[in-house]
Amino acid sequence: MITTTQANEAAIDARGLIMSFGSFHALDGLDLSVRRGEILGLVGPNGAGKTTFIRVVAGLLRPSGGQIHVLGGRPGVQVATRIGYMPQTPALYDDLPVVDNLVFFARLFGLSREQARRRADEIVDIVALGPKARTLVRDLSGGMRQLASLGCSMVHDPKLLLLDEPTVGIDPVLRLDLWQHFADLNADGTTIVLTTHVIPEAERCDRIAMIGSGRVIALGTGDELRERAGRQNLDEAYIALRDAAPREGER
Amino acid sequence: MSWSRVTAIAGRIVRQFRHDRRTVALIIVVPLAVMALIGYLVGDSGKEPLPVAVVNLDEGGTSPVGTVNLGEVFVRSLRDQDSIEVRAFETGPGAEEAVRDGEVAGAIELPSDLSARLAAGEGVELTVAVTGTNPSLTGPVVGAVQTALRETAASIPGGEGAATGGVRIRTVSLEGVPGLTTIDYYAPVLVAVFTFFFTFLLTSVSFLRERASGTLDRLMASPVSRLDVELGYLLGFLGFAMLQTLIVLGYATFVLHVEIAGPLWLVLLVLVLLVIGSVNLGIPLSFYARNELQVVQFIPLVLLPQIFLGGLVWPVETLWTPLRWLSQAFPLTHATAILRDVMLAGAGLADVWPRLVALVAFDVATVALGVVVLRRQRA
Repeated sequence: MITTTQANEAAIDARGLIMSFGSFHALDGLDLSVRRGEILGLVGPNGAGKTTFIRVVAGLLRPSGGQIHVLGGRPGVQVATRIGYMPQTPALYDDLPVVDNLVFFARLFGLSREQARRRADEIVDIVALGPKARTLVRDLSGGMRQLASLGCSMVHDPKLLLLDEPTVGIDPVLRLDLWQHFADLNADGTTIVLTTHVIPEAERCDRIAMIGSGRVIALGTGDELRERAGRQNLDEAYIALRDAAPREGER
Repeated sequence: MSWSRVTAIAGRIVRQFRHDRRTVALIIVVPLAVMALIGYLVGDSGKEPLPVAVVNLDEGGTSPVGTVNLGEVFVRSLRDQDSIEVRAFETGPGAEEAVRDGEVAGAIELPSDLSARLAAGEGVELTVAVTGTNPSLTGPVVGAVQTALRETAASIPGGEGAATGGVRIRTVSLEGVPGLTTIDYYAPVLVAVFTFFFTFLLTSVSFLRERASGTLDRLMASPVSRLDVELGYLLGFLGFAMLQTLIVLGYATFVLHVEIAGPLWLVLLVLVLLVIGSVNLGIPLSFYARNELQVVQFIPLVLLPQIFLGGLVWPVETLWTPLRWLSQAFPLTHATAILRDVMLAGAGLADVWPRLVALVAFDVATVALGVVVLRRQRA
């Protein structure tokens, strides 16, 4: 049963999040609240802190400072069952068929052997890899690997899907397919947080969080951000908003 | 051939090494460590003496220049050797008991007519009793006896060298089954080393791939526990590792005709425990390797100290005390000792259980280490 407070609660709530690697701050006081049921795009250049944020949310990194709540709890094993994580590289077992990868990850999330098999069959159809279900991952094209990787992240029907650069290196046709998948998942109630360094692509998200130097520079819909920056396209808007953002020590 | 392309390739390799400091460090450290160990082991300094039981029954004899007691000369000469610690025993059976109990590496009995016969230029047979299951102990004892004999002979007035021509050293194995050959002696070592080596290689490279491919991230983002990962790896590799082990053991038994005097189940139990430790050691160590090259360089670091210090070739008993303690932490030390006792001397569970406990302790420690190291992969 979902209580009112749970329903109103943010899917991800990060306050003053800091992640340091030695003297380098990959996250430098990041504040971000992701609403339940939205698709949020994290945009910014390489090294802005997008992947670090995703890894903190996924429970792979322990933040050096600040607070983070994910689906009402601390990142970790307890909330992990409700999170799907798709790493930047298609992290799959190359020497296993697609369907075996899906079954494996499904079983890690607690599905029985039988349930996992049924779910794997559903997923290969959803991500349109039906004819390739028995193909070894190493024999798939780059795009198909990405689809298989997406499949592995959603095999346990997560409430929150974290996608790290899901469309990188994908041809335009497949990219449209992927976005269709995201939209379908979202329509079923899944909250999606994805990163991309192709900023205009994030236009398809409900909201965009512009990330730079480990902080959120600006947050809003594509139209809002363009208007705020007074620019025609999102790339230019990013640069304008970044340059206008308070520098270190001015905050 | 294009010289500029050749130099381009060569230059690239050198430059890559400049960015892989760990590999460069290993390139320097590994041979230094290996040579230092070998230098120490084959050298004379820094070693603890090997205890040897001596029963001197010699009653002395008369030579052309007066009475002599060559037995005393022999014992004194043995005492003067740094590599040997002489322990005097009253009777032969008492000394042999000490050999069986592992208190001494060998027992030498000097007959009552030693001086008399040598002075008279007659032949004498010296019996050196050893365990017979550990060739690394036999060599140093026999070598010391030979040296002492040479010095004893030199002390005979007017009879330098000539007298020892009639002395024969007979080595008697107290524990090994009769008719052991070199391959019998080394089979337990080979089985243990290859079991450990193959398994370690298999798991450390597999786990490195798991980390490098990013699947470990996926694993760690799931509700799987660190112990689940450890045990899953163990179970997955156990079958393959044991298959390899059985091939080595089977080849030794059926093709090389190595005898297994003791219970086979005990041999297999030791090998299973060794495999478990090896799988679990591969996981944490693969975390300290960034690529396959570094994993391969870990192999000598992990394997050679165990081979050198674990009593596989050189006796543990003569090691500098801290090194001897260190050797007790190595799984191969215990596995080889048990396999030798069981395969060569027919030892049973009652004889080897303390070393089995040590192997189990190593396994538990490596699982714990793996769980600790996996913690770094998750918040």
